[in-house]
Formats: sequence, C-alpha cells, structure tokens
Amino acid sequence: MSVAATVAQGDQGGARRSRRRRTAAEWTRIAIVTTAFAAVLIAFLSPLAYSALLSLKSPSQITQANSPGLPSDPATFTWQGKEYPVYYVPLPDGTTRELAIVKKGRTASDFIDPANPDAGTITWQGSWRNLDQPWQLAPQWDNYAKVWDLINFPRALFNTVALALIGTIGTVLSCLLVAYGFARFRFPGRGLLFTILLATIFLPGAVILIPTYTIFVKIGWVGTWLPLLVPAFFANAYDVFLLRQYLLTIPRDLDEAAMIDGAGPWRILRSVVLPQAWPVIVAVSIFTFVYAWNDFFGPLIYLAGHGDIQPLQVVLANFHGVYYKNPALIQVGNMLTLGIPVLLFILFQRVFIRGIVITGVEK
Amino acid sequence: MESRLAHLRTRRLPALLVSLAFVAAACGPSATASPAGGQPTGGQSAEPSGPPATFALPSFSPAAMRWYCCLGTGEDPTQQPTEKSVADAVATVFPGSSLKFEVVTYDSARDTLATQIRGGNTPDIVGPVGIGGFAAFQGQWLDLAPYIAKSHYDLSQFNQAAVDFYKSPTEGEIGIPFDVYPSMVWYKKDFFSEAGLQEPPHTYNTQYKMPDGSMADWNYDTLKAIALKLTVDRNGKAADEAGFDKAHIVQYGFEPQRDDLRGLGAYWGAGNLAGPDGKTVVIPDAWKTAWKFFYDGMWGPQPFIMTGQVYASQEFNGGGYAFFSGKVAMSENFLWTTYGVADAGTDWDLAAIPSYNGKVTSPLNADSFGILKGTKNPDAAFAALTYLTGDASDQLLQAYGGMPARPDKQDAFFETLGKSDGFPTKVDWQVVKDSVQYADNPNFEAPMPKYNETLDILSKYMSKWTTTGGLDMDAEINALQAEIQATWNS
Amino acid sequence: MNQLPGVTAAIPRFRLRRGPRPPSARMSPLARREARYGFLFISPWIVGFLAFTLFPMVATLAFTFLNITLAQEEPLRFVGLDNWTRMAGDQHVWDSLGVTLRFAALWLPISIIVPFTVAVGLNSKYVRGASLMRTLFFVPYVVPFVAGVLVWEQMLGDTGWVNAFLKLVGVDSPPSWLFDAGWIYPALILMGIWGIGAGIVINLAGLRGIPTELYEAARIDGAGAWATLRNVTIPMMSPILFYTLILGVVDVLQYFLVPLVLKNGTGDPAGATLFYNLNLYKTFFTYQQMSYGATLAWFLFGITLVVTLILFALSRRWVYYAGER
Repeated sequence: MSVAATVAQGDQGGARRSRRRRTAAEWTRIAIVTTAFAAVLIAFLSPLAYSALLSLKSPSQITQANSPGLPSDPATFTWQGKEYPVYYVPLPDGTTRELAIVKKGRTASDFIDPANPDAGTITWQGSWRNLDQPWQLAPQWDNYAKVWDLINFPRALFNTVALALIGTIGTVLSCLLVAYGFARFRFPGRGLLFTILLATIFLPGAVILIPTYTIFVKIGWVGTWLPLLVPAFFANAYDVFLLRQYLLTIPRDLDEAAMIDGAGPWRILRSVVLPQAWPVIVAVSIFTFVYAWNDFFGPLIYLAGHGDIQPLQVVLANFHGVYYKNPALIQVGNMLTLGIPVLLFILFQRVFIRGIVITGVEK
Repeated sequence: MESRLAHLRTRRLPALLVSLAFVAAACGPSATASPAGGQPTGGQSAEPSGPPATFALPSFSPAAMRWYCCLGTGEDPTQQPTEKSVADAVATVFPGSSLKFEVVTYDSARDTLATQIRGGNTPDIVGPVGIGGFAAFQGQWLDLAPYIAKSHYDLSQFNQAAVDFYKSPTEGEIGIPFDVYPSMVWYKKDFFSEAGLQEPPHTYNTQYKMPDGSMADWNYDTLKAIALKLTVDRNGKAADEAGFDKAHIVQYGFEPQRDDLRGLGAYWGAGNLAGPDGKTVVIPDAWKTAWKFFYDGMWGPQPFIMTGQVYASQEFNGGGYAFFSGKVAMSENFLWTTYGVADAGTDWDLAAIPSYNGKVTSPLNADSFGILKGTKNPDAAFAALTYLTGDASDQLLQAYGGMPARPDKQDAFFETLGKSDGFPTKVDWQVVKDSVQYADNPNFEAPMPKYNETLDILSKYMSKWTTTGGLDMDAEINALQAEIQATWNS
Repeated sequence: MNQLPGVTAAIPRFRLRRGPRPPSARMSPLARREARYGFLFISPWIVGFLAFTLFPMVATLAFTFLNITLAQEEPLRFVGLDNWTRMAGDQHVWDSLGVTLRFAALWLPISIIVPFTVAVGLNSKYVRGASLMRTLFFVPYVVPFVAGVLVWEQMLGDTGWVNAFLKLVGVDSPPSWLFDAGWIYPALILMGIWGIGAGIVINLAGLRGIPTELYEAARIDGAGAWATLRNVTIPMMSPILFYTLILGVVDVLQYFLVPLVLKNGTGDPAGATLFYNLNLYKTFFTYQQMSYGATLAWFLFGITLVVTLILFALSRRWVYYAGER
C-alpha cells in the first residue's frame, strides 16, 4: 500500500466516523479517552518544560529544598553592608512578618525588621529551619549569556550541520546506486551479497572499532572529519535495504521502454527511477540527517581533543563533564542543542512523519 | 553525579612514595630559605642556577608538538586561556617549534589517551598529571633522566626527595616536580557558633575542648562526637538528641574525601593495596577502620555523613563536593578544594586532620607533566616541558591553584590565594604548610597491579556502600579483597 | 532508545524476495553486460564493506588469538584460545552479561508494547486530535540523545518533577532513581520510553494498513474489542512487531551509551549499569587490553547472531505476512 493511500485511508476513516450520529455515552467516552491521552502527552512532554524552567534558575534556588517551581530567588535584606535571608516569622502576637535573620541559633534566633531596621534585633524562640522564605520571580536570562560565552555555539552548530549535510549527501548518493544495482540488475552472487549486506545490521560496532580506529590514525584521519564522512560515501545496510525495497515496487515497464529507446543504466536511473523514487529518497535523507545530527560516539572518539571541529552533542557532553554541578547551565546547553532539531521537526513535521511511514511500512 | 565525581576528582592526582623528608623540607622550614638558592630556570634563558653546570638545552630540531590535557585539573574554561597562551608561547620561546593544547575533559581523558596511544597517535606532553595518572599509564612514560643530564637541568631547586617523588623503579625519572596539594579539615565557623561549640584545632597534636569543658585528643572519636552535634534535622534537632528525624537531615556534621576508597582510607593511615610481594591484596587495617567509620556515619543509627543518594542531590551540591553546598560543618579534602570553596560561604576556615591511633595522616596529591615514550620529538618535548614547569609555571600554578613545588614560591602563592574572590578575609593557611609534614607515605595513589581495573572495582564498592544500607561491612571488605585478588591473578 | 534513528526507521521484512532467477553459469553477452553494471553500481558498498567491515572484523578476530595490549609488555605472540578461556572464567564478563540480559528482559517487552498500545489508542475512534498527538509524541525522538539524557538526569533528580509529583500524591520518600541500584533500570526505561515516537508512528501506519473489512467481519462475528485485538490487530501487525523485536534485540544487546553519558561509564550505582558493551568498551579503551576486548566483541557478535537466528526460527510460528500463501 502506498503512503498516499495509507494517509488517505486514515482521513477517510475519520470522515466516515463523523457521519454517524453520536450518543451522549459516546461523547463521554471520547472526552474521557481524549483527556487521558492528553494527560499522558503532557507528562510525556513535561521534561522539555522542566528543562526550560530549570535553565532559568539560579544556583541558590536549585540547592534549596522545597523551592518554587518557577525561577525565583529567595528574598534577602542588606543591612550594614551584609546580606541576610528573609523569612516568614510567626510572632507571638499571632501575626506573621517578613523578617531578616541576622544570627542563627538552634533554639532561638535574632531577626531584624527590614521595614524598620533601626529598631534593633528581635529575638524569636524556635528553629529557624522550620520557617518558610518569601520568593521573588527572577528568571536568570543571564544563564544563556554565560553559556553562550562558554561554548562556541555558532561554531559547534556549523560543525553539526556540515557533518550532517555532507554525511547525508554521501549516504543517499551511494545507497541509491547500490540499491539500484541490487534492485535492477542480475549478477552472480547477488542473493548472497544482499544477505551479507543485511547481516551487517546485526554486527556489533565493537567488532570493527579498534582496527578501524588504528587505520584512521595511521592515515592521519583522526582529529579530522574524514572518519565520520568518508564511510558515508560507501553505503550502509539500512538505507540500501529501504531504497532497494522501494525500487522493487516501481514497475519495470518504464525501464524497459527506456531501454528499447536506447537509454543506458545511468540514464534510466536518472530519468526513470529517480523521479519515481523521490518519496523514499526524501525519507532516507531525513533519517540520515537526523542520525548524523544525533551521532555521538563517532565524533566522541574521532574528534576528542579537537574542540573546534566537534559537533554540538560532543560539546554538550564535555560541557556537562565540567559543569555538572550547575544544572541550570547544563539545561541551557540542552535547550540550545535540542532547540534546532525540535524546531525543524515542528516546521517540517508532515514530511518527517510521512518519511517514517514510507520507510517503516513500505515493503 | 556521585560516580562522575568519584572520577572527576581523583584527577588531582597525587604522588607516589612521598618521602616525609621531602615534604618537611620542601614545604616546611625551607619555605623561608633564601630565594636565590632555588632560582627557577627554564626555557633557554640560561641563568646560572646550580653548582654542577649551567642549564642549557642542547640544540634540537624544531617540532610541532601536542600537549594532552586533562588527566588531572586543567579542563575548566577559566584555566584554558592560560594554558592556551602558555602553549602558544612555546612557538616564541623555541622558534620553529609549536605546542598545540588539546583538551579532553577528564571524563573521557583516560580512554581517549589510551586509544590515541594504541592507534599510534601519541601526544608528546601530558599534564597536569599526578601519580594516579602516571600509574594508569604505566610503561608509557619517557625516562627524562638522559635529557636532564644532557641539559644540566637544575634539580637542586627542588629538594632531592621531591625529585625522587617522580622516580619510578621501572621507568626512571618520569616527571619534574610541579605542585602539591596536602589535605586539611575545612569547616564552617558559623555552624560551630550556632551549635555553641569550640572550633576544631588549627595546630597538630593539640586537644579539643568538648562542650562539657573536658579536653579530648583531636582524633576521629572526638570528630564524630562533635559531628553528631553538627548534624541537624529540619526541626533543628541534632543527631545525638532524642527525636532526631534522620530521614530529613538538612545539615551534615562531617564529609570525608569520598572520591576514592584508597584516599578515604589514607586519612586514617597511609597504605597501599599491594602487599609486600606486590601481588597479594592486603587491605591496611586503618583503611578498614576508615571504611567502617564512613559506613556507620551514613547508615548507622545516628547518621552524620550523607548517603550516596543525598550526596547526589541538588540540595547538597548535586554530586559536587558537598562542602560547597554550605550545608556541611566539617569536611576533609585536598588543597585544591579552593577552586570551589567560595560557594560554601564566607565563614569557613582550615583545621588540623584528626589522628587515628595517635598518628596523623594528611593524604597528598601532586601534579606534574610527563612525556610519552611514543613521542617522535623527545628533545623538543623535553625543551617544552622545561618551559611549562619553569618559566610558565607561575602562570599555570595560578590557574590550577596548586601549591608550588619550589619552596621559595610558596609564600607568594598563599598571598595570592588568600585574595581570591569570595574568600573569608582571614584563612589560616599555616595549616596547609603544617599538613604537608603529615603527608601519606606511601601515597594512596601509588602504582598497583591492574591499576585501572582495580580502581573500577573500588569505585563499584564505594557506590554500593554509599547507596545501600544494612550491609555487613566485614563481609563486604572480604568480598572486595577477593574480587581485586581475582583480577590481579588473571 | 533514540540512539539509532536510522535503525528504527526501517522495517525490513527480513525475508529476501528472490528477484529474477539467478543467471546460469554460462552467460549471454547481454547478461554479462547486466552483471557488469550490477557490480559497478554496488561497488561502493563492496569497497566499503571490505575496507570498513570485513577487514576490521577479521583483524579483530585475529586479535583474539594474540596478546595485544596497549603497553605490550610481553612480545606479541600467538596465544591460542587463552583469551577465550580467560573470558569463560571472568566473573566480570558474566556479571555484565547478566546486567544486559536483565535490562533487556525489562526493556524489550516495554519497547514493543508501549508504542503499540499508544498507537492502538491513538487509532481509536474515541481520541480526538490524534494526528496532533502523534506529532507531539514524536517530538522527544528528535531531541539529540545527549540532551535527552541530561534532561532526564534532572527530571529524575531529587528536585525533579517526577519526585515532586510523587510527593504531591503522598509518597514521603520518593526513590533516588539514578543512585539506587533498584531504581536505575526503571529510570533508564523511562528515558527509553521517551524516544518511542518513531515506534508509535510506525505502529500507527501499520494499523492504518489493516483492511477495514477484517474489522467489519470481526464485528459481524460478534467479536468484542479484546477478541478483535487478539484475532485481527495483533496478527496483522505481527510483521511490524517482529521487526521492532529484532532490531530491539540487536540494539539492547549493544546498549551502553545512555549509562556512559549518565554515569560516565562507572557502572554506578553499585555496578547496576555495567552493561556488557560498557565492560567491553572499558576493556578496550580504559584497560587497554585490545585482544581481550576483541574477544568480548566477538562473543557479543555470537550472542547476537544466536538470539536473532532463534527469533527468526520462532517467527514462523507467529509472524503473519499478508499476501503470502
């Protein structure tokens, strides 16, 4: 079944459903099920919101137990050149006032009234640790400026995009050729070769890592993009498989007609196969791009020590290694790293999802 | 990230076979020795500096070299500009040569270096690196002795023992002394005053005045007694009071150095896991005591040390050094604690390490730079090394916060350190100088068989002990010993 | 786990469709020409396979019979099966294999059932705005993996929303997800579930592909929702479920990047995240024992091969390919 048909059928299903009259019971069910799903979805997406809020918090808020959810700062009062935290203090007369603590004690502490500091200290009996603090909304936009200074973000972004783009071009080109070869030509050993190709999907990466790394070192490629980019131009099993499966569904009649007209294999590929295969090519491109964008282990080992050519993810992991104890800054890094792919996805979600449907369901 | 931490900090690597003589001499009285005697020299400015001959680098062919960081400190973005400018300066000092500074964050630094060496992509200079780092790459270091001899490099600016410090029985002279980090007790004065307690002693071999007025030796029993009074729940009750709510502790009395079980043990007494034959695992008794003290402090009926879960919580600095959260009354740690201690507030000071069985031990970290055997430019690399540990050392030491291994530089170092942003106006730096005299010998990071594997086993047990209550510690220690032994045997 | 988008994107039906019959031994000039072109087009893969797969694989296999270490204290020599026998007696290897298998036992069913269930739900006529929801469920899938792990690190921390929520509903001492050996797998699974967007979309597309006539027929037969699910939906979806399972197995046996980033490869808490592949990675990179690491790598390869072959053999019993007689 083609994608278009799949999608269309889904839509028809919807149309068909709405034609029937619904009972009140059905509406209730719709409300309940939809609400339940929406709730699950909200929970599912909440980490992103959490990350966004956390990125705006100050270290003093993060280390404070029971601090508010929104980025805020505890209130303080500066007296005689020193800052004192302010607490809600329940006074013996039954009122609660905001007082600044100047001397902490186990059973009794001294406070002053910020409204009237000259009145002297008020001694309050009780454990100050049980008191609540007033908080003021205070998003730390400054966190973003700090991280921007600490990470060469434009550089890392450029590296990421360049790596992903070049890798995608190489993958799509080479995989298309190979898939075309497998789908349209008979040659001895084809079945066996294709089986070997598929079998490489099951090969743990570790089996080839050390010799590969050694070779790349010997030819001076480590510390450059070449180990990440060059193999992309030599096809990979997943994408070849996808493309081949799709090419097999394209009828050969047109090929044959073109062949009779004297077209060679290259021209058939260009003017007959390509125009029909574009949906799968778009899909494969998108996935290769996302994969390359998210590639972590390769850049981690091949670009270690070369901060100026590392992509975002490696830069982010390194940043985490240094700033792990300042979660707000880490989340700023996260926001900067995930912002672009998420934005791209939202803009192109139609193409994207269609891509998955194609790659996922086409046989 | 307690685990990350464990690794992150073991990084400030230490030193092997520290001779007490060195320490006492290098950092004690001789700190006031005539500066002329210890004139540091490096680079090509061939100043007359030692009796035997004048330091002069033999001519070498210029080379493009790589400086691999960070098996120890050095990855912090505030340090990197200094490191980069020092690396760039090499091109000026040695025309035709260049030194490229490469940062691999500590997290992956060991693995990446191993891979680079294996792949034949060996960097030239590695550092800052301590004995832990040297030990992790046993067999990979260049013996500097011939280069020192050829250039008449003046090692007399350091105490002989300091030099011996980097002498490996199998590999020769693998480093030139650079900096040292002794251990002290860091404490919050305001917590002591809130609890109405005397502050801990600043001098060694003195007594502590208990709340009841009696005098007690400053040992781990005393420390525990007051740590209990300084551990407070959310209702303001101390750990030794009735009704203490141990599920909701908001302030802890004590925090040991928990990066490495060996280091933790070394505060109770110096030792090494390798027995006399070098092949049998022998866990020092002092370490066993230390580990049980630690475990009991976390999981016992009256906790005063945070568990792994609490240690990892944001409230207590999210796996960074818990003392920096400002919610810990006393903590044992190395001098490099200065890099983040400003977060703890402005009320901290330094005190003496308590004694165990009448003996004080202050574990020591130390850093240097090494040259890898696989370098293609040993002469040029040695020249660059003398620059890093010589003329550039002032800049670098300031960036790293390390106490100079050259005795004549130490007073100036503390002068500058004391003026750091956010530090209390008065810190008793004398404690640091005194502590050096109690350095652990042998050093806890000294080489042992299967170094990296053993570290991982230790870290696994550390993780288990800090996150699991109700364990039988004798059985655990036996299991640990057996597991390490099995690894050594394989 | 969204570390391999390309992987989950593809649903190969793992059966080779035989193309036109293979050419006979004696080829006509035309057939030879065709074969030449065939080889020409697949040559990028052949070259890549030889250089980047076969050669390193063989080299790694050769390593397993040598004594290569980083330091190479002993002269390089042939050691026979020493590495293999050492592995057989190495408790760390078996412990780490146990970790991987335990995690796989938890994760695999979830990685198949959750996307399937959500997809079935979204496909239900009682859900409004299903396509918007589908899109939103997909969002975390495009979040770069390191960022995703670091978001969850905070989300599951002591001040994170997960525990805030648990406290809200009355759990006084919520778990320390990332620092408790008993809670780390649920934590890793939560992170894994975050990346199921692609799985949902694939399942949804599969569900949409089931002919409505089958449901009509089931309805006429008086089948309830459960019976319809069991007798129509699941059999029709079995190729997709099988595909998810196979790639899930391959992925989960190699699982280690999330703990590597989260725990810096320490295996904390208490060795609970010392996955097989992490131990392998450490043997290579940290312990610098190339030959032994190579042996572990080949053993993993063997396990993967055996498990997938068994799954393929079993698949004949439950995977139903429509259109095949």
